[in-house]
Amino acid sequence: MKLLVVEDETSLLQSILEYFTQEDFLCEGVGTFATAIEKIETFNYDCIILDINLPDGSGLKLLQYLRQNKKDDGVVIISARGSLEDRITGLNLGADDYLAKPFHLSELNARVKALIRRKYAQGASMLELGNLQLDLLARTVTCNKQPVVLTKNEYDLLVYLLNNKNRVVSKQAIAEHIYGDQADNMPSFDFVYSQMKNLKRKLKEKGCDELIQTVYGLGYKLSL
Amino acid sequence: MNRRLLQRNTRFLLIWLPLVLLICSTAFYTMLLKHTHHMQEKQLLLKQTNIWNAFISRSGHIDWQVPGEYDIIEGTASPQAKLNAPLDTVIYYTDSKQLHPFKKLTGHLSWNGKSYLVTTYISSTEFSHLIIKVFVSEAFILALLLIAIVVINRKSSGLLWKPFLNTMEKVNTFEVTRNESLTLPAETGTTEFNELNKAITALIARINTAYLNQKQFVENASHEMQTPLAIIRSKLELLINQPGLTEKNAALIGDITTANDRLSQMNRTLLLLAKIENNQFPETETVEIAQILKKILADFKNHYEEIPLISATIENTTTVHVNRVLIDVLISNLIKNAIEHNQPKGNINIALSKNTLLIENTGPALSVNPHELFERFKKGSHQTKTTGLGLALVKQICNLYQFKVNYNYNDGWHRVMVKFDEAAG
Repeated sequence: MKLLVVEDETSLLQSILEYFTQEDFLCEGVGTFATAIEKIETFNYDCIILDINLPDGSGLKLLQYLRQNKKDDGVVIISARGSLEDRITGLNLGADDYLAKPFHLSELNARVKALIRRKYAQGASMLELGNLQLDLLARTVTCNKQPVVLTKNEYDLLVYLLNNKNRVVSKQAIAEHIYGDQADNMPSFDFVYSQMKNLKRKLKEKGCDELIQTVYGLGYKLSL
Repeated sequence: MNRRLLQRNTRFLLIWLPLVLLICSTAFYTMLLKHTHHMQEKQLLLKQTNIWNAFISRSGHIDWQVPGEYDIIEGTASPQAKLNAPLDTVIYYTDSKQLHPFKKLTGHLSWNGKSYLVTTYISSTEFSHLIIKVFVSEAFILALLLIAIVVINRKSSGLLWKPFLNTMEKVNTFEVTRNESLTLPAETGTTEFNELNKAITALIARINTAYLNQKQFVENASHEMQTPLAIIRSKLELLINQPGLTEKNAALIGDITTANDRLSQMNRTLLLLAKIENNQFPETETVEIAQILKKILADFKNHYEEIPLISATIENTTTVHVNRVLIDVLISNLIKNAIEHNQPKGNINIALSKNTLLIENTGPALSVNPHELFERFKKGSHQTKTTGLGLALVKQICNLYQFKVNYNYNDGWHRVMVKFDEAAG
């Protein structure tokens, strides 16, 4: 998987690159409009993570350029401007997804993976870890070949953890992933604990216990 | 004590004008009296000359005394007697049996080597009557003048101050948060008011600019803060994935994460406030409050492990024409507050009836003045979990749609009431 990250904030760029490199992506990062154009013209990427405010031009112009040249690289916009209109403008110009800053890297990871799956139907529609299987098309989960019945939130949670497997995902990231902007209205993470408790219990019932670990109250990690 | 300019003006006139008129009247009376005396003296002297002439021409063969007119006495005056000056005297009239006031004037004259004292008389009654009549007429005219001045002054003041009152009315209804410009007539017919209008127009233009700058500053600052917040968040995520994370470090990271999230949330809320102020939610639709309320209540029941007992009476009669996102923020903020600022095993009552939403919850009394509760960063309790912006947001949204929101605390119950205005939107 080839990934291009266009972000002028070096620190943020490094964070993104580090995270995605660990996810076995082939990552390249650039900080300016000009170098981004250069890269796009020379190579094809599976996904481009694009910041809008660049020192020498707008990320939206880059997106327009990309679409006018019939390049269908997947594009996820990351922007400090997160209003509905900004999102609509970005998506209308041909972005595949739009994520407002500050975002969680685990969320960006999940979005990029979902985008790649949608766009290229790669890795089919199955997410697996050990004897846990999740079918994204049928929206079913099996554990040791036994079906696990999950609520919508629990299912979303499991998909999120599988997309970020072997990583600690913070409870804040989970809250925002499941409830979106509504998470702002939830000052406690009670609901994350309870959803997670139920999910763990259901997986344990089918013999997939010990898959989800709690990491010092910071978050959760799905790994073997 | 403050009164209207017109009243003050009338009061001044009513205090000072009578005083001035009184002084004038006194002066007038004194002068009138002086002139009368002068005239009496002239008349007495003239009479004396006439009688003396007649006395000489007839060689003394005239009446030597006519009561009330004159008398002639042979001899010289005593040295004390005042000569050639009018003196008051009285004459007794036998027919009416009354004393009548007179003026007399005595002159010392000589003829054929003999001395005579000629005294002439003139009645004072007519003169005093004349003085009274003239004075009464004058007083009447002055009183009329006084009334006329006050009435004309009141009428003209009303007319003259009209442009000022018009300006005042416009300035009073001016609301800087609605971003409106104020147009005042440049020509009022009065130079001072033209200048006033010009000054106010310029002032309001400056206020609008300052307000716009401030709003843009908040919005820009919030945007600019998003990137550093994103950097911190991403670094924290990398940090929790570092191998060999100890429990102590995890606790530190947990605290930083919580603080950073609160900062992000505050920043997002400030941005939302700025956007509402900047009118960036122009899309509106007809929204059923009951439907939104039920959805939010269901969401909250899902999100919280333990939630205060909520009893809700919801009538499906209230619809408003607003932005759906904002009405959602408004109601969920109020309900969140009712949950967050509750007591253990507390209660929440929610009642939605015709155009009124009442949310009551049990909880300890506020430490902050209820009037300040809707201001930014005013917290009723020192909960570190909250941003102190929730109710400011509620207020802002209510202002936008001209909903009325008020709060009171009574018998351990916090009550927030929102009155949706049907005409709004």
